Amino acid sequence: MLELKGVTKIFNAGTVNENVVLRDINLKVDEGDFISIIGSNGAGKSTLLNVIAGVYPVDKGTILLDGRDITRVPEHERARFIGRVFQDPMKGTAPSMTIEENLAIAYCRSSRRTLQWGLNNKLREEFRQKLAETGLGLENRLNYKVKLLSGGQRQALTLIIATMVKPKLLLLDEHTAALDPSTARLINNLTEKIVLQKGITTLMITHNMEHAIKMGNRLIMMDKGQIVLDIKGSDKSSLTVNELVGMFEQAAQRKFDEDRIMLRASS
Amino acid sequence: MFGLITALEQGLVFGIMALGVYITFKVLDFPDLTVDGSFPLGAAVASIMIFNGGNPFLALFLAAAAGMAAGCITGLLNTRGKITGLLSGILTMTALYSINLRIMGRANVTLLNARTIFTYIEEWGVPHRWVFLALFIITAFLIKVLLDCFLKTQIGFALRATGDNPEMARANGINTDTMKILGLSLSNGLIALSGALVAQYQGFADIGMGIGTIVAGLASVIIGEMMLGERSICMATFATLMGSFIYRLSIGIALRLGFAATDLKLLTTVLVIIALSTPKIRNLL
Repeated sequence: MLELKGVTKIFNAGTVNENVVLRDINLKVDEGDFISIIGSNGAGKSTLLNVIAGVYPVDKGTILLDGRDITRVPEHERARFIGRVFQDPMKGTAPSMTIEENLAIAYCRSSRRTLQWGLNNKLREEFRQKLAETGLGLENRLNYKVKLLSGGQRQALTLIIATMVKPKLLLLDEHTAALDPSTARLINNLTEKIVLQKGITTLMITHNMEHAIKMGNRLIMMDKGQIVLDIKGSDKSSLTVNELVGMFEQAAQRKFDEDRIMLRASS
Repeated sequence: MFGLITALEQGLVFGIMALGVYITFKVLDFPDLTVDGSFPLGAAVASIMIFNGGNPFLALFLAAAAGMAAGCITGLLNTRGKITGLLSGILTMTALYSINLRIMGRANVTLLNARTIFTYIEEWGVPHRWVFLALFIITAFLIKVLLDCFLKTQIGFALRATGDNPEMARANGINTDTMKILGLSLSNGLIALSGALVAQYQGFADIGMGIGTIVAGLASVIIGEMMLGERSICMATFATLMGSFIYRLSIGIALRLGFAATDLKLLTTVLVIIALSTPKIRNLL
């Protein structure tokens, strides 16, 4: 479904600050995979997602989506079939526009925008139902400006925006990291619900090992720009945090000493 | 009373320009300085056509088209040429100075004996003293309503999202470069249209008439926002027209108080500075 072949990304190439962020990445993602990605700071997790989304061009390698080479397709065109949720809740929504206007923008994601009204009552009803499913009470606030919402509410909204038109691929970049534990749990539940219900192929970066083990059918660990672990199916479902740390130390040939990765869920 | 009517006429005709400034500064969040060049561009195109006996309605249309082309160039400089927004506008504005002189062939064109759009309207039976007001009310509010409607369409949403959060816009399949070019074209089209109407209203076009247009436009947008807020688009565009009226009224009062016409740019600048910094002063207290 998604295939990366020999993808390499170098920042500041040819300078003293040269930094190889992705080193010859080969990855094959199957239809319906829900992959959690973990790794220490600077491992290249976010860059991997950004390269797939087309935020930066790659230096080497090709990216195929459903057999089509999208390596040179610009970001906004890839967005027609790739949904994204960022770590910063401010990034995924337009703050001075209303909830319904934000959703209406997402509604047109894969079609051609025209001079038709952006909103109508039929759409409003559809949005109201979608919001009601989240249990956040946003369905009665369709005409509220998004800047009035809390971080968690904005993140839930971004999740709905990203999946409004079912994307071929959903990229989640630590989308619960900036939230308090109970809100994070709520967003994680919502994520699982939407992803499993719609069967969306998903790549999710998390800094929480327990979430990484619990969620999804496949786990990837990155280190220094490479994929060092790729665990699937029953191997993954029986995994424990301690086993995972051991596997990391073996694969990366060093002690696991990352403070930022939480070994246990904090709640 | 007479001063009030004049302020209303001016407020409306320059209000069309202020609506253009509203598109770039408020909707698109783009500091566009093309304005000082596209306003006299519209005046130059329309007045030279009318001076040579052309149809004044067609002249308005062509003036707006010329303004759109100017905005499009600023947009291309910014998106394709990767030049900062501020500099892109300054470059187009500077180039337009020469272009405007080329179009007019001299530093000013007078329309005193020419058949302007107002000559036509008077011939339709509108009494002379209401000609300007009637046309400006209809035009300014028609444009305001059309702009309100446009900003509520799918493309209008895309334009607003581009100004509000470009990252979100791109993540939702919006080509933010195209939207910037579109917004700048629309904005400068309106500004040039305003310039074309002003030239016929005052009876001449002058190469220097664009100086300070941007500050006047900004003043209108800001005064309007301070008075009426920006709860909805419909309200914000109305506030911009209202702000333009208040601005022209204060200019009229300043003149009556004995200020020289040449001091007005300084006064306007001070007015904008006060308006921009007032909320901060209020917060400090």
